[in-house]
Amino acid sequence: MTESKNVTVRVQRFNPDTDRKPYLDSFEVELTADKTVLDALHEIKTRQDGSVTYRRSCRHAICGSCAMNINGVNMLACNKPLRDVLDRKGQVTIRPLPYLPIIKDLVVDRTVFWEQYVRVKPWLEPPEIETDKEYRVSPAEVAALDHAETCIMCGACYSACTVVAGNKRYIGPHALLKAYLRVVDPRDTAVEARLQEISGYDGVYRCHTIFNCIDACPKHLSPTSAIERLRKMAPKSKRLAQERQERQRTLTQPVAE
Amino acid sequence: MANSNTTITHDLIIVGAGLAGSWAAMIAAQKGVKDVGVLSKIHPLRSHSGAAQGGIAAALNNVRPVPGTGPRGPLEQIPAGDDPVDSWELHMFDTIKGSDWLGDQDAIEILVKDAIDIVYEYDRLGCVFSRTPDGRIAQRRFGGHSAPRANFSADWTGHVLLHTIHEQALRHGVKFYSEWFCLDLIVEDNICRGIVAMEVLTGRIVTMRAKAVLFGTGGYGRAFKITSNALANTGDGVAIAYNAGIPLMDMEFVQFHPTGLYRHGILMSEACRGEGGYLTNSLGERFMENYAPDKMELAPRDLVSRSEQTEIDQGRGIMEDGQGIYLDMTHLGGEKIMERLPQVRELAIEFVGVDPIDAPVPIQPTAHYSMGGIPCDANGQVLADANGTPVVGFFVAGEVACVSVHGANRLGTNSLLEASVFGRRAGYALADFIHGGAQLHPVPGDPAAANTERVRDLLDNPGNELVEPIAQDLKATMTDNCGIFRSDERLRIALEDIHRLQKRFQNARVMDKSNRFNTDLLAAIEAQHMLTYSELIVGGALNRTESRGAHSRTDFPKRDDEEWLKHTVVEKTAAGPVISYKPVNIDWKKYPPQERKY
Repeated sequence: MTESKNVTVRVQRFNPDTDRKPYLDSFEVELTADKTVLDALHEIKTRQDGSVTYRRSCRHAICGSCAMNINGVNMLACNKPLRDVLDRKGQVTIRPLPYLPIIKDLVVDRTVFWEQYVRVKPWLEPPEIETDKEYRVSPAEVAALDHAETCIMCGACYSACTVVAGNKRYIGPHALLKAYLRVVDPRDTAVEARLQEISGYDGVYRCHTIFNCIDACPKHLSPTSAIERLRKMAPKSKRLAQERQERQRTLTQPVAE
Repeated sequence: MANSNTTITHDLIIVGAGLAGSWAAMIAAQKGVKDVGVLSKIHPLRSHSGAAQGGIAAALNNVRPVPGTGPRGPLEQIPAGDDPVDSWELHMFDTIKGSDWLGDQDAIEILVKDAIDIVYEYDRLGCVFSRTPDGRIAQRRFGGHSAPRANFSADWTGHVLLHTIHEQALRHGVKFYSEWFCLDLIVEDNICRGIVAMEVLTGRIVTMRAKAVLFGTGGYGRAFKITSNALANTGDGVAIAYNAGIPLMDMEFVQFHPTGLYRHGILMSEACRGEGGYLTNSLGERFMENYAPDKMELAPRDLVSRSEQTEIDQGRGIMEDGQGIYLDMTHLGGEKIMERLPQVRELAIEFVGVDPIDAPVPIQPTAHYSMGGIPCDANGQVLADANGTPVVGFFVAGEVACVSVHGANRLGTNSLLEASVFGRRAGYALADFIHGGAQLHPVPGDPAAANTERVRDLLDNPGNELVEPIAQDLKATMTDNCGIFRSDERLRIALEDIHRLQKRFQNARVMDKSNRFNTDLLAAIEAQHMLTYSELIVGGALNRTESRGAHSRTDFPKRDDEEWLKHTVVEKTAAGPVISYKPVNIDWKKYPPQERKY
């Protein structure tokens, strides 16, 4: 049986131009079977109060825009059914990602987040090995990347990280996961420099292995495991760089099946 | 002349940071254009290219059907030394046929030849592809392609391609303006002089001067009710260009993808069918037997969508309202689904509560791809008229452009390819243009001030109409009356509705009055854009009294090559939109029009 029922959506509001501090605003929306948290926000914004502000784009968990804090947990708003996030009182409380400066309502300032991303040089440093085809990479080498290439940079992990909370110089789980992707990729030529960059005081050793990032990741990735592996690799950066050079000598050859 | 407070200057400004814009930016920077600015109304990595799932087409010849199992048999890697099964010529013929002979064949030839090289370039730049056992890029089947040539990364191909090129653009020093909204294109005397843009964070509006501008702003599927498109895909680029006096081409051709998640429109990649999934109606029949006995579910999208809609219209749809169809993948097995279609599986579980491993997924056709757009040549140079007069300094690439390689219907995996190939080519052309002595041309008047006033009028409008209901009504009429099946009667209803909605919009009220991050204001401007070009989609469709590709008229069910082997061109005039036509580039010896059978 489907019966219509209204639920309360509490949204943290804050416009630094006019408000002294953040406050909660309550809205009523109808609960329907397939309504997501993002749908509820959309309904509030477009029918009730157009000044409620949040980021969104693809609305199916691939663009990374709509990470926010829902009932105290970082997640994407777009793929969360509203009915699944109602608390005991039958309401939901939506706040911006914690530990980041607020631009307006649920929109946070990600400047430092992106600076850390750029800091690890997220791009592949390509080899200069002549070929008119693709480089050969084995399915096992792809599997070793552990799907790090699917990170959507939503920031749910970053803003769930207690180290980030206290220290914005920490590179952060998102950028370290990207560093891992590059370090492990057999086509990358900058293994040594990368491992040096991430093995400083603000890098992998800063991680307290609390696993908040894993819990928060909407793509089921494991930045912590990547960080742990990087920690093991960091002291061996010279040897790994040598191994990489050797591997790259066979990049144009078929891999053993 | 705008004063310096409100002016930013670059050699090259790119609007849109999806694959097309990012490729163009990266290549231009790599070729020595020092001063490249890229604007995106969202963050570049949030661009909709990242939502593409199934693959990017190129005849790499890495896999083939196991010999003796027929064309739909299981795939294996091609052993070293064995004959190729695929070629760019075959890819070209498939694309021409898919386009229903409305694609320009000279451009298609470039697309399919460049395809092979661009996929290898993606590999060299770090894109993580799925692999064959011997380490080559894995390939799968896709609709309308007569060989397995969809090169893929599981079912998040667009995501990895987008991230790869964005990263490389950063590597080459491209400057990104994240969350800047382009409001206007400055063109005078057929020379593009820059744009006007709003910094979303502060609401300040600035003139941005440049020697060249490229639009890579994406498509316009958001004008429909059920759509696979991102919320951001509001087709701003076509509307802005049109308003600046640039003609648009083939706007009536909007592709409906056969497998959007029921009621959500979210994509279930064509790879679902490429990997062997099939479609069934409420009677459990695999109905594609009746529509495309050879290709079955791997017929092109226009044909499969029409087949589904016919089943639905004849009462054989599923779900309470009869508007759905089943996409059945249960026979593929959990292992294959989790390896090849992990994202699709998750989306089905999250949004309709069905695990495709256990049960068929309810889907329905969803507005997906815009074949029409801003006419340009194969280097992205925008053309002002049918004679090929260039709009100096204005370039386009990707879905906003109409080269036209897709004609009346695009084949799956040809869009990531198009955005990449033509984004890259535009990058080279822009570098040549700028190095060849291109100049900053003076900007007439004060466009920043004029746009500030325009935005202020919208913000101050005391009207009592909310924007969202207007947009919803537009989407409803576009879907109902200008959707998969069209007719004179229904298109006229759509046109009247649009005119009525345009009037209603004059009373639109923006609720948020603040300057800071005003997404309510942006939604109003986006709705205005949708109202502008929807009229052109319907106008083109009304005129075109035939059925071709994705444009299907119940009152003119046949393709009419005598009359309609031509592109629609629409231009803004004081008296409203004026339509003219332009011939299709066809090699009559090699690829003459023929009946399209699958």
